[in-house]
Amino acid sequence: MNKINGVKREVEERSVFDPVELEIFKSIFISIAEEMGVALMRSSFSPNIKERKDFSCAIFDEDGETVAQGDHLPVHLGAMPLSVKSAIEASDLNPGDVVILNDPYRGGTHLPDITLVSPVFVAGFDRPLFYVANRAHHSDVGGISPGSMPVAREIYQEGVIIPPVKLVRRGRIDRDLLHFILANVRTPVEREGDITAQLAANRIGEKRLLEVVNKYDAPLVLKYMKHLQDYTERIIRKTLQAIPDGNYSFVDFLDDDGLKGKPVRIGVEVRIKGDEAEVDFSSSDPQVEGSVNANLAITLSATLYVFRCLVRGDVPYNAGLMRPLKLIAPAGTVVNARPPAAVAGGNVETSQRITDVLLGALAQAVPDRIPAASSGTMNNITFGGLDPRTGKPFAYYETIGGGMGASPERDGLSGVHTHMTNTRNTPIEALEHYLPIRIRRYCLRPKSGGQGRFKGGDGIIREYEFLTRMQVSILSERRSFSPYGLQGGQPGKKGENILISRGRKRRLGGKVSIEVNPGDILVIATPGGGGFGHCETKVKRKKQSES
Amino acid sequence: MIRLGVDTGGTFTDFVMMDSSQLKVHKVLSTPSNPALAVIQGLQDLGVLGKEVDIIHGSTVATNALLERRGARLALITTAGFEDLLTIGRQTRRELYNIMVEERRPLVDRQFCFGLSERIGYDGQIILSLDLKALDRLIQKLKRNKIESVVVCFLHSYANPAHERKVGEKLARSNIYFSLSSDVLPEYREYERASTTAINAYVAPLMDRYINHLEKELGGASLKIMQSNGGCLSAAAARKKPVTTILSGPAGGVVGASAIAFQAGFRRLISFDMGGTSTDVSLCDGAIMTTTETEISHLPLKLPVIDIHSVGSGGGSIAYLDEGGALRVGPQSAGADPGPICYGKGEEITVTDANLVLGRLDPGHFLGGTMKIYPEKAHKAMAEFARKLNLKAEELAEGIIRVADATMERAIRVISVERGYDPRDFALVSFGGAGGMHACSLASRLRIPVVIVPKNAGVLSALGMLLSDVVKDYSRSVLIRNEKISLEEINRLFEPLINQARQDLFKEGFTSGRLRLLRFLDVRYVGQSYELTVPVSARFRHDFNRLHLRRYGYADASRPVEVVNLRVKAIGLTDKPPLPKLEKRGKPLSQALLDERLMIFEGQKFKARIYDRQHFEPGHEFDGPAVIVDYESTAVLPPGWQARVDRFGHLIMRTKK
Repeated sequence: MNKINGVKREVEERSVFDPVELEIFKSIFISIAEEMGVALMRSSFSPNIKERKDFSCAIFDEDGETVAQGDHLPVHLGAMPLSVKSAIEASDLNPGDVVILNDPYRGGTHLPDITLVSPVFVAGFDRPLFYVANRAHHSDVGGISPGSMPVAREIYQEGVIIPPVKLVRRGRIDRDLLHFILANVRTPVEREGDITAQLAANRIGEKRLLEVVNKYDAPLVLKYMKHLQDYTERIIRKTLQAIPDGNYSFVDFLDDDGLKGKPVRIGVEVRIKGDEAEVDFSSSDPQVEGSVNANLAITLSATLYVFRCLVRGDVPYNAGLMRPLKLIAPAGTVVNARPPAAVAGGNVETSQRITDVLLGALAQAVPDRIPAASSGTMNNITFGGLDPRTGKPFAYYETIGGGMGASPERDGLSGVHTHMTNTRNTPIEALEHYLPIRIRRYCLRPKSGGQGRFKGGDGIIREYEFLTRMQVSILSERRSFSPYGLQGGQPGKKGENILISRGRKRRLGGKVSIEVNPGDILVIATPGGGGFGHCETKVKRKKQSES
Repeated sequence: MIRLGVDTGGTFTDFVMMDSSQLKVHKVLSTPSNPALAVIQGLQDLGVLGKEVDIIHGSTVATNALLERRGARLALITTAGFEDLLTIGRQTRRELYNIMVEERRPLVDRQFCFGLSERIGYDGQIILSLDLKALDRLIQKLKRNKIESVVVCFLHSYANPAHERKVGEKLARSNIYFSLSSDVLPEYREYERASTTAINAYVAPLMDRYINHLEKELGGASLKIMQSNGGCLSAAAARKKPVTTILSGPAGGVVGASAIAFQAGFRRLISFDMGGTSTDVSLCDGAIMTTTETEISHLPLKLPVIDIHSVGSGGGSIAYLDEGGALRVGPQSAGADPGPICYGKGEEITVTDANLVLGRLDPGHFLGGTMKIYPEKAHKAMAEFARKLNLKAEELAEGIIRVADATMERAIRVISVERGYDPRDFALVSFGGAGGMHACSLASRLRIPVVIVPKNAGVLSALGMLLSDVVKDYSRSVLIRNEKISLEEINRLFEPLINQARQDLFKEGFTSGRLRLLRFLDVRYVGQSYELTVPVSARFRHDFNRLHLRRYGYADASRPVEVVNLRVKAIGLTDKPPLPKLEKRGKPLSQALLDERLMIFEGQKFKARIYDRQHFEPGHEFDGPAVIVDYESTAVLPPGWQARVDRFGHLIMRTKK
């Protein structure tokens, strides 16, 4: 469709929407996505999904454009519509079909995130009128190390790659395909349970959409799907309009790619003009050998997240958010890697740095609205081995929070997940029940937040004692470069990974895979957030109030 | 014996008194600075102060102390290395897209979070014994710092409470209030257990003082305190576990609503309590349902609480057009002050104003005609707002109602459809000031066939308290897997809980004949994290699979299951006189007719009758459109509906066939 037609269509439709219906449909669409999420979380098996909410659910219109997505995980924001589009491109979809995928180069994020896409057919229409999809982080999808978050050189080492293929055909599950996938993972029973829960979540979404169509008629529902996207677009345009026009750039670095000790540059220029923005990552490094490459979906997610944060109040996340934004990320760079680059860390680590540079750029445009850098890493830890109590293999993955950057208005939170993730911790009492691990310490890391007029939040210290031999992978960042402060605020303290084995302390790199023995202790100290504003201001204020 | 339900509310303290034949209702203005004053005043007014009566009291002392953060100066004692347990919580932030999010405020100041050297394993084995010397030093420190109340939560204390008990013994000798997590909630998941225990410790000293004060004034009366699980508890027991009294007001409403529905012959109901700022809904399928996943003031509270879903939509909810052009209603509310525009002071259009513009709220009979209403102000404001949207005032008013209804409809869907229940099988019991105006239209949207507007809807919470039984909940985490589960083993594990429950209820004065001990299991498939609760029986696996299918859309009977918690609900049945019937004098319906007025439904004008509920008699029947005014609430009967007054005076409304 050319631009002129697009504008005309918008004007026509805008003139006919009813503010009451818009609000009612908005609430319906969001609630469907949320309801899918509740069912998925409660009935799944991976700690990542059930305890840590590392999943996303969304509904899409006939063109595969997002209509509403649950407030689940920002890092999935941009990737969900790409999944649906890949599923549509991959095959002719029939009623009762469900497409499964995890290929980061065809609609996925990183391999542990498995996505299921279902078309929704309505009687009287011969093509899908809607789509529903959900994506969930599975504990293991094979590859060279348990938990499938290895320090790898190419994607083939990271796990089983599932291109968009039909897992369910006309309501019948393809057992051969399922067995093929399950044969490639370490904990197949758990995987099957999770996939079943994901299938059920899509069915709920489908069922609810059909109920809505029954009540309101399909054309009206489709119309308000478009209206809701326009609604989000109007709000984001107003937000952009309020940012002063100009070009703002910022550069920050990833510590390394896990293989070569060389920093990886992420650079951005944000060009604001009127109610539109161009986000250009051309100054970023070429893709690297290690696993910190981001695919385009990740870079898109981080960009959408940052602009969504600038909106005051609540706005449903959907395709409208992207319309006034133009993303430039040259292929072959670390922000838009080409196959077969390894990407496990792009999703969890590089996404955070992309967020940091975007916020850093915008801090120049709207200094009173942007906080200093948060911890900037998800501190991914994976364990795997044989449980001596059961003789069965286990694979476990968790992430650890850090300090939030101080904002122009207040101190940053301590011990919390920030920006692209918001996954919960696993209760220690649950973890010790199911894994041969003992947690010796889980507390805030004192004085790790950057000083300033407002103080950055403190990071976390988590100390593991291993009760059996196992393989441990750590994928962490901000071990060499600190989270930046703003307006004179001090940077947050860098993170540290330490292994204590037979009384000997050894500092580990940010990205390692190691074998540990019973009695070994691993200490992960996560970075604090950056401070905001000069310290002196705070001292002065204090003196004034004392006198 | 005279029984009294006393419910402290934000504005009024409600009293419902019942002896063998009569029901008496009374209201006194609440006295927030010392809620006991209003209670005593009311008892005096009713002539029962100092007499031997049974009082069941729903208090807001604990709730308000928590919401306003006015509780005790707390300290936390936990396993060394885990001092930040309450601050870190689940390491998540509340708002995903707020980069300047406000600080979380745990109930315990960081400087008063102390770790002691000790460690217990997941299986209850002591890995490291408790450092008693350090404990003694710590207790001195607590005293120096004037700590009023202590939260004690060690890792895995649900599996072995020995260390917590030791700390408890020492604290008891030092005369400091304390709460042990293994007493309050002996279940696994350390943060949720610690949080629940902290809430208990936080409100305990205040609640203790309040109950002391009240008991002194009450003389010979027996005082019971309402709990959030829908039952009451002796004052002595409530002092020990005041966390169970938080949210008891809404719980009273659900108990009252279900008692009335049962009486009217409906075993399956959805209670619908629409107030000024929010709406509470709860589903009751033959029995009131509880949940263990409540959050209050952003703190998890894992004890069984009546499963009430609350949304920010009420009579005072403000309507506005947002940046993107959608009509929003709430969650901001004009409250009671300044209140809706039609109250005279307000400046923002509310749901109440919309009802007034549509003729559904009668200005002449508001609060029995005692409160002056300014309909012209509401009409003017509505017309101005409507003009901006190219709408007529009435169209906008109907739109506001529809948006508010959609929010409430969604709330009801969450507790029904999303949990596998079909609303068409339920009756909607409406109460609260604004509920009656929305109940029928809401029922139509959800295809609920019957709406009940109870008599005494304005004091339903107090009535529910009066009708409540003594209920105590017990639980214990066991985490046993499939192959190890047998009914004999389960029965054996239940024994200590059952003995404790029996003992406690004997202490509350119940004989065996008036005890009901219900046993439940929290079950999940091995590997899941959320449990479903099913009654103990040989078929519990089957029941679990069925419930799983209903709730989450799939079940797999071949998957191994895990029993996570044992639960006992111990009920002491109280003496409850039957609710009195409404007297039939034989007067015709016409004597209740006040007026006729034009009203708007779906854009059409109708002539509607206005009835005064005070003059209804059993058997009176009429068709909509009609408005029924009561002292403090108004009910709207839309076209296509008919109403009947039952023998107790409840209004039973149905859609016409």
